[in-house]
Amino acid sequence: MAARILRTFLTVKPSNSIIKRFESNKKSVSVYDPFRNKPQKNKEAYLEAIKIFESQDKRRRGHVEFIYAALARMKEFGVHKDLEAYKALVDVLPKGRFIPTNIFQAEFMHYPKQQQCAVDLLEQMEDNAVMPDSEMEQMLLNIFGRRGIPVRKFWRMMYWMPKFKYLSPWLLPDKLPDDTLELAKMAIQRITSVDPDIILDIWQTEEITASIDKTWIVSAQSRAQKVLLAEQPLDEPLVVKGPYNVYMRDQVVTYFTLIGKTRPEPTDDRDIDDVSNISKPTGIPGFIGSTKLPSVKCTVHEQDDGTIVSVCATGTSSRDSLLSWIRLLEKYDNPLLSEIPVIFTLTAPPSDIAIQETQPATTEEANKEGT
Amino acid sequence: MNFARKICTIRNQTLSTNFSRKFRISAKNFESSHASQPQVQEEKFDFEDLNVLERTERRKPKINPFIKDVFVSVFNKELLAYPEILNKEETENLNARLAALEKVFYDPSKTREERKMALKRTRMYAAPVSLTNNGLAANHTESLQYLDVISSDVDLGQEISDHWVCLEAVRKGLEEDKYQQIVDDLITGDRPLKLCIKEKVAERITQADFRTHAELDGQGVWRISGEKYCTSDGVDEYLLVLSSFESDRVRAFLVHPNAKGIEHNGSFITFRQTPGTPLNMVTEQALAQILGTSRLHAATLCRNVLRRGVQSCIEYIKPRVFSGKPVSELSTIRSTIGEAVLDIYASESADYFTAGLLDGYESPDAEMEMAMCRNIMVDRGITSMLNLLTIPALEQEEECKRLLDDMRHLAARGESMGSINMFIALNGIHHAGKHMAEEVKQIRNPLYHPGFILKKVFESRHQENDNPKLNLYLAEHLHPTLKPPSENLEYCVLRMKYACETLMSRHGLDVASAFTELNRLAIAGTEILAMTAVLARASRSYCIGLHNAELEMKLAACYVDSAKEKVRKLIKEIDDGEFINLDHFKIQFGKKTIEGTSNLVEKPIARTFW
Repeated sequence: MAARILRTFLTVKPSNSIIKRFESNKKSVSVYDPFRNKPQKNKEAYLEAIKIFESQDKRRRGHVEFIYAALARMKEFGVHKDLEAYKALVDVLPKGRFIPTNIFQAEFMHYPKQQQCAVDLLEQMEDNAVMPDSEMEQMLLNIFGRRGIPVRKFWRMMYWMPKFKYLSPWLLPDKLPDDTLELAKMAIQRITSVDPDIILDIWQTEEITASIDKTWIVSAQSRAQKVLLAEQPLDEPLVVKGPYNVYMRDQVVTYFTLIGKTRPEPTDDRDIDDVSNISKPTGIPGFIGSTKLPSVKCTVHEQDDGTIVSVCATGTSSRDSLLSWIRLLEKYDNPLLSEIPVIFTLTAPPSDIAIQETQPATTEEANKEGT
Repeated sequence: MNFARKICTIRNQTLSTNFSRKFRISAKNFESSHASQPQVQEEKFDFEDLNVLERTERRKPKINPFIKDVFVSVFNKELLAYPEILNKEETENLNARLAALEKVFYDPSKTREERKMALKRTRMYAAPVSLTNNGLAANHTESLQYLDVISSDVDLGQEISDHWVCLEAVRKGLEEDKYQQIVDDLITGDRPLKLCIKEKVAERITQADFRTHAELDGQGVWRISGEKYCTSDGVDEYLLVLSSFESDRVRAFLVHPNAKGIEHNGSFITFRQTPGTPLNMVTEQALAQILGTSRLHAATLCRNVLRRGVQSCIEYIKPRVFSGKPVSELSTIRSTIGEAVLDIYASESADYFTAGLLDGYESPDAEMEMAMCRNIMVDRGITSMLNLLTIPALEQEEECKRLLDDMRHLAARGESMGSINMFIALNGIHHAGKHMAEEVKQIRNPLYHPGFILKKVFESRHQENDNPKLNLYLAEHLHPTLKPPSENLEYCVLRMKYACETLMSRHGLDVASAFTELNRLAIAGTEILAMTAVLARASRSYCIGLHNAELEMKLAACYVDSAKEKVRKLIKEIDDGEFINLDHFKIQFGKKTIEGTSNLVEKPIARTFW
């Protein structure tokens, strides 16, 4: 008898309610998608859709599915980097209901689906480098309590994200400017930050009457670079190289370099272990340094592939604008450029700016411009 | 390398001497203590030849450079007998001249013109010139005495210091006949010589640090072109211009009054193809030695400004009261003044000690000592002056400003403290390098010399523990009361070699560019000179029973005690290296601040998120 009872007990199927809880993960519940029919895909529309969802059903049935759907459509609405949108989504979750009330609930993941959903939301924030704030913490605490996994995830995020935010030595504003000129200024500033003495100039190609492209040029040259350029031998041409890319978060700026001759590498044939004749100054009061100059590579601008004598970004990145750049450099304190040949070695300019080019693009061959 | 210093062998060759020293058998040390006994030297007069008018110099034979040897922990104990240069007759003459000067210079009602007249009257403008040329043939000790009085007028003090230095350079550098032609004009005092050495710091990477250049033109005349810092204001004066020639050599040129191509521009002077007479009889090294004397003078000038600061402070304090009691009873004020007195004492001792080295020995090599004298005073002088001037605070605005500005000006005169420290350290380490080259090579290549390294490990265990064996026995050459301070000095001297060795074995030949550490070495060396001078002076004063000599003993003990701690710390920092002494980090902070466009750190209440 006892065995029968045991068998019956063992063969009895688990109740539907327990299974359903897990099965529902697999089932796709068709929910009304409030985001689909929005005529304008912007932040207001997005927040409004969330508000409609909150108001249409007092019990907020299907809120997890709704949040997943909303998360998936954030990019579409351009709110994937917007903290407010994320907060609005978290606010959809009911307050108090998911807070565990005893140690078993706390230990065995109370409302796992909802918690997972909140964690996914935080994960998406992290991927998009959106840093939550203390209000978000309060919201999560109200929803899941101190022992909820989303809150713990939040705390970890708040430890690391501020550190990552300032990891780069070139700090960018929270929102990058829309203006390409401003962006180019920031990009050039970043790549020329090796020399604190750099001077950034913004010129208009209109200044050069022969120019065809009417655009701006952001050019950077330090005093040391001016001197290095002035020292360039006349028979050795300067080379304009580029385009190179510099990334400002997700924005890319192309820039060009003007490259000259490099001085010879310093040779050091001293025996470093032999201290029998350490150099010493003459000792005449007021006389320091030397009467001669080192004629070897010693500045940061002198790299292995040449001396970078100037850097620029132009509005169109076209050959004509670069030609104007050279002319403008010549106009502003680099008179040597009028006598020295400049070679343009621009390989395959990016397609989108090729349209604006005024000259037919010759991809491979070097185009020598005798100036 | 450090590992290599951990084990030790017993070196017992000096055991017998040390044993006897322990038991104070004084006769044993008779030989070595002989040097510090008063020495009587007979002056030889040549009565046969009455035409000999020139001053006789009583110089002892050449000795090894004193402070350079300290860098390898070799101490010339003979110098613990404070040098006495002048005899009775010379001192009397000197005092007579000083009295005449004091009458004018210590009287505040006298004008600059009257003072200048007094200088001319006492033939001060001709002081370094020989007697046959109507000069005083003054040596360094006498010059310092004169300058001590003259420097109560800072401007005149600077003028006469430059004049003396230039005159000496001209005397040694010009050919005899040319010199005789102009010497009479030079010593009148109407046209004092001016020094033109310092240039602006280069502003372009293609500019050399030193740009004034001299070239021979078609007629065999040297033409000078360049810009110099010079306090001269008139055109009617002689200038001594340092200029490069033949690409990398330097030489001094004498530019005559009203020469062509000179243009004055504030404190700068521009030469355009100005003709100059080369001082080609003097080598670059000798020129450095002569011009280096200006450092000794600068120290004297600085010291007297500080002395005036003390005086002005005392005058301020005397009539004032605080809570019904005289302000002068406040112990903080007393200690501030006491510290200034200590600095003055140290600087004065070091100056006359160095002058004694220069005057008392054949072909002296005391460039470093002169440079150190300047830094002893400048380093402490500025701090002391600032401390003193906080006593009158805002009440004597003008007086304070003037004193502080004089001090600042003198401290930066001609060259900065940093560059002098570099000069001291590089010369010291150069000297040490010569002595220890073989050893350093072995330390830097330990696997080739395992035996040596083991020996080194044994030997330097005391140094590693900052507890060197005191085996110089300097106390034997001083008054017995000064035994503890002399042991402090001994400790410092013995640590110097270890510091040099550490630096050289760490950096090799690149030690010349380890500036922060060299700076420490220079300061340590400078303190040792001051300590030596102070001890020698106090011991001498006490032995011969000068007025207030017991106070001098206390001053000396105080100074040496505080200086020892300073040296101990500096050498410890050298030994620790850039990470423990925090140099590395400080350099990084400086670098970041120079490179960065904004503040290095955020405000203390800034937030990343809300």
